[in-house]
Parts: sequence; C-alpha cells; structure tokens
Amino acid sequence: MNLNYTFNWGMLLVDPARSWILNGIAMTIGLSLLAWVFALAIGVTIGSMRMTRSRWLRFLGGAYVELFRNVPLLVQLFIWFFVFPLLLPRDWMMAWNGLDHVPLLTALIGLSLYMAARVAEQIRSGIAAIPKGQFAAARSTGLGEFQVYRHVIAPYAFRVMIPAIASEFMTTFKNSALALTIGVAEITYAARSIESWSFRGIEAFTVASATYMTTTAFVVLFMGWLERRLRIPGLIARR
Amino acid sequence: MSDPLVSIRNLGLRYGTFRALEDVSADFSRGTCIVICGPSGSGKSSLLRCINRLEEFQDGDVVFDGASLRACRDLPRLRSEIGMVFQHFELYPHLSVLDNVTLAPRIAKGKPRQEAEETARRLLDRVGIGDQAGKFPGELSGGQQQRAAIARALALEPKLMLFDEPTSALDPEMIAEVLRVMRDLARNGMTMLVVTHEMAFAREVADEIVFMDKGRIVERAETARFFSAPTAPRAREFLDRILHRL
Amino acid sequence: MGFDWAVIHDNLPFLMRGLWNSVQLAAITVVLSFPLGCIVALGRISRRRWLRYPATMLVHALRSNPLILIVFWFFFLVPILTGRPVGDFASVLAAFVVFFSAYFAEIVRSGIQSVRRGQLEAALSTGLTYAQAMRFIVLPQALRSMTPSLATECVIVFQGTTIAYVVGMREFLHTTFLVTERTMRPVELYLFAALVYFVVCLAGSIFARRLEGKAGIPR
Repeated sequence: MNLNYTFNWGMLLVDPARSWILNGIAMTIGLSLLAWVFALAIGVTIGSMRMTRSRWLRFLGGAYVELFRNVPLLVQLFIWFFVFPLLLPRDWMMAWNGLDHVPLLTALIGLSLYMAARVAEQIRSGIAAIPKGQFAAARSTGLGEFQVYRHVIAPYAFRVMIPAIASEFMTTFKNSALALTIGVAEITYAARSIESWSFRGIEAFTVASATYMTTTAFVVLFMGWLERRLRIPGLIARR
Repeated sequence: MSDPLVSIRNLGLRYGTFRALEDVSADFSRGTCIVICGPSGSGKSSLLRCINRLEEFQDGDVVFDGASLRACRDLPRLRSEIGMVFQHFELYPHLSVLDNVTLAPRIAKGKPRQEAEETARRLLDRVGIGDQAGKFPGELSGGQQQRAAIARALALEPKLMLFDEPTSALDPEMIAEVLRVMRDLARNGMTMLVVTHEMAFAREVADEIVFMDKGRIVERAETARFFSAPTAPRAREFLDRILHRL
Repeated sequence: MGFDWAVIHDNLPFLMRGLWNSVQLAAITVVLSFPLGCIVALGRISRRRWLRYPATMLVHALRSNPLILIVFWFFFLVPILTGRPVGDFASVLAAFVVFFSAYFAEIVRSGIQSVRRGQLEAALSTGLTYAQAMRFIVLPQALRSMTPSLATECVIVFQGTTIAYVVGMREFLHTTFLVTERTMRPVELYLFAALVYFVVCLAGSIFARRLEGKAGIPR
C-alpha cells in the first residue's frame, strides 16, 4: 500500500468547485423532493386502484407496479431520455426538445414514476397490515365503504406507514444520483466534475457522501419525532 | 438442611431502575418440590431465571450444588445440570420432537446419536407421547408440546428442574396431563422449583410454599401450614382471592 | 418512423455477452456479500460495544449513500490503496460487495430478531453455548423467515448491475448503449433491454413471492 495523497480541502471553498457543490446540493434536494411528492400522489392513486372492487383497475394497478419495479431505474431513465421523444408525434417531439432543462424533466418523470410503484406497494402492505376486524367493526357501525377508508383505515394506515414513507424518501434521494447519467448536475455529478477537474477525488466524493449522510440523519431524526408525536398507544410501529 | 442443592444469598436484580428482586435469600434441599407463588410482577420468574443465570443479577449470589454462579466460568455445563420448562414451551419448531430432545445431549454433552435417541424415546414414553417422536412441534397439542419440553429438559439428567408457569399457556383440558407428569417427577425424588398458580397442585404435591411479593420472599412455610394459616397479610389476601376463584 | 428489429438479431452475440457479464457480476456479488453481511449482522446484535458500534456505523454509512457514489469511491480509491491500476471489474465488484453486504446484514439481522427470544433462552438453558444456540436453533429459523427477502435482494442486486455502466464496465446496459451508438437504433435496443431486464426480474420477484408463501414454520 502506498498512500502518497496530499489533501487539499481548501479548494472546495473556491469557485468553480464551490458553486458546483452548492448547485449540486440544491439540484439533488429539489429533484428528490419534487419526485417524492409526485411519487406519493401517483403511488397513493395506484395503491388505491389495487384496493377497489373493479377487476380492471386492480389489474392496471398491479401491472403498473410490476412493470416499474422490475425494470432497473437506470434503464427506465434511458428510455425516457433516448426512446420516449422518438415515439412522440413529430411536432410534439420538436416541442419537447425545445423545452429548457430536458434532462431534469426526464429525470423527474423517470424518478417519480419509478418511486410511485414502490409507494403503491407500501400502501398496499400498510393496508394489509390492518387487522381484518377493523373493517368489520367499522362497517358494523354503519359506515359506507368510502367512509370506512376515510375515517378508520386511512388514519391508521398512515401512522403505521410513516417509517416506510420516510425510507421511500431516502430511496428517492439516493436514486436521484442516477440522473447524472443523463446530464443532470446534481451533487454526485458535481463531485465527479471536481474530481476530473482537480484529480481530488477523496475531497470531492467526501462532500457528496456528507450531503447524503447528513440528509439521512435529519430525516431519521425528524421521522422519529413525528412518529412519537403520532404514536398510537399500545401499537408498536413495525419496520 | 445440612447440604442444600440451591442456596440463594442476598440476591438482587434490577432492570434499569426497577428492582425485580431485592435481598432474596433461601435454601432449597435435595429431593424437595417447592412451589413459588405470588401476584404477577412479584419476581417469581426472575428468581427462577437467576438460578440458571438467564438473568444477570447485580447483587448477592446463587450457590448451586456447592458452586457459586457468580464465579461460574462454564455456564453451559452448569445449565446442563438444571432443566428448565418455559411458559410457552419454546420447542424448536424446525426440529422433530425427537431431535428437540436429543439436540442438547448430543451437542452439549457429546453423546452418540444412538444413545441419545434411546434415552429420548424412553423419556417421551415416560411423559406419554412416545408415539409423537417423529412429528414436528407444530403438529402437537399444547399439552403434548409442554410434555415434550419436559422430556427435553430431563434428557440432560438434571439435578434440578425449574418450571416457569408451565400450565399458564394451556387450555384447561390439557393442564391435567402436564401436572400429572410433574407429579410423577416429584414423587420420584426430583428436586423441583415450580412457579405456578395451580393451587390444587401445590397443595397436593409441594413440600413447601414460597410466597413472593414486590421482589421479596414474604412467606415460606410447609404446604399444610401455608394453606391453613398463612402469616403474612399479603399471602392471606392472595390465597383468599385465588382459592375463591377455584 | 419504422422499426427495425433486425438490429437486435444482428447484434445478439455482443448483447448477450454483456448480459452474461451482468449475471456474473450479480452472482459473485451475492455469493460474497451474503456471508459478509452475516458477519456484520452478528456484529450489529452483539453485546460487545467494540463490535456493535463499528458494525452499526458501517451499515448506516453505506445505506445512506447511493450505490453509484460508492462505485465512484471505489473506482477512485482502489488504485490509490493498492498502488496499481486494477480492472473495472475488480473495482466495481469490490464496491458492490461492500455496498450490498450492508443490505444483506439488515436482512439477516431482522431475520435473527424475528426468532423469539425464548428460543435462544431455551437452547441456553439446556447447556448449549451461545455459538451453538445460534448455529443450531436461531440461524436455521432465521434463514427460513428471511429467504423471501434474500430472493428479493438478489433481484435488486441484478438491477444494480446496470450502475456499473457509469465506469464503463461492459455489462448489458453498456453493451446496449454501445450498439445504439453504432446503429442509431435506440428505440428497438433500449426496449429490448428493458424487456430482458423485466423478464428476468419479474421471474425473480415471482419466485420470491412463492417463497413467502412457504416460509412459515408450523407453530
């Protein structure tokens, strides 16, 4: 082992490294927050489809989840980036290519749709974890199907699913790094730019790792707090 | 009581700030059957679990067969001389009943398989489930499972048997079959410490009753005297409640 | 636009060599990172702090970083540490093994913790040592309860192999990319790649779900 590497942390504080890092962090956080919000919205919709009585909706929901879960995210990003525009009608394709920030939009679409499938699965297993007696008890008090979900199942399921929702956010956050492959300058992209510009890989990658780990720590702390606030006495939230 | 098998000396056990056992001292002689009773949370199970050091006590000591547990360097050997029966049986669900009984003799004591199996079959016959040897625990009734667990403990030829509420998880119709096995054991001279709420069993089989409350032994008496005239007010209260329920 | 599916047929040997590399990378990763994960998991549940703290920190650190960044770390660090260039495959493999061992560790840990504490105590009470109780009583039960998660994790590892693309390893996605560069037929090629990944991963997912149905031990 020969370690002839001299550290130079100072270079991270001057441009261009400094602005690359700051923009990268902003991009990572912005992209993953947006994707997470979309993923939750779509995921809850898909998850609910799978709970309905309609066989068709159930099938569609199930097919969505299987399709998006069983193709690697990177392949999905490539398809949205390289294939999807070519399948559009000609004028649409021109319009799409004329947009600003096509890589970012692509990453947002790909990440949201991918994460939505995972959220839908979490919704389903969250609801499946609710004791069957709850449904029967709620119906026996005269609530309708929708009311049962709205007043009994959803509040219960939401509390039980907090850890899962938090961990899905962390997954979104980490997965946003793949956007660098289609040219989105998020934090891992920034780290690599700094590395190839200065050959200072350790410093550069440390910044990226620190970004992910700090964010994780914050989310874990916040979710722990939220979970304690919303805890149902007598129910231990399962991981 | 010249040479007690178990001698508990000023035993103290804490979980965090909660004192589960406080300054407990008692001697138990060979060949006796002692029933330990008391309200829940009184420290009965904790006391039992200290005797084979499943609980790490902080104060005092337990001397088993002349050897200090605190100073014990070879816990597995010590534990193999003390059989324990649990409330929830704790048979190994992935092993057949026969393998449940032979595992420790083979692994811990290095007995050859054939010898271990012969002993196991004899013990399973003795507890009345010789025909269930090849089945998995999940295929047995609760009463059969608990009897298999007793056979598993006996397979080590222990000097002492600890029973931690052995019938509490059983349906009423299965309690009798387990108690019958325990009664036979006591009659054959096994030294037994039994935590139980089965007062009829205690009255019939036990030589002495130990009554615990809030981590202390508050009364210890010969069985007949305990039931006719308990001295401690808490013991009287407890007896009143439990006997009137019967 | 018209499709030209012949491009797949023409380049099939090259593409399949990429797929084979992906499968190899995934298989070796699983074979190496599972035992490593078991060791880390035992550290995670150990009573000894000097084992538990480092194991816990390692798992948290790895799980809060994206795989792609770990791959970059190794790609950059391994040559510095070894003092000479190693192939793409070696550095990617090292990154994968270390990264996924953290995930396997958590699966193994929760498998062990799903076994009731009474089982360990019963084993100890019959005179087994801690190691024997783990080996004969706890781990066999834990293994049964975690096989579905292990199967799912294998699918995730296989999906993860696409990330080796970023350092130029010739796995399936990379060979697909190379063919599109040459033939200018991204639609057919990427859809084909997606289909292949889908079929393999779906088969794995269905297998994992089957296991889930069988995992229960009668109690």
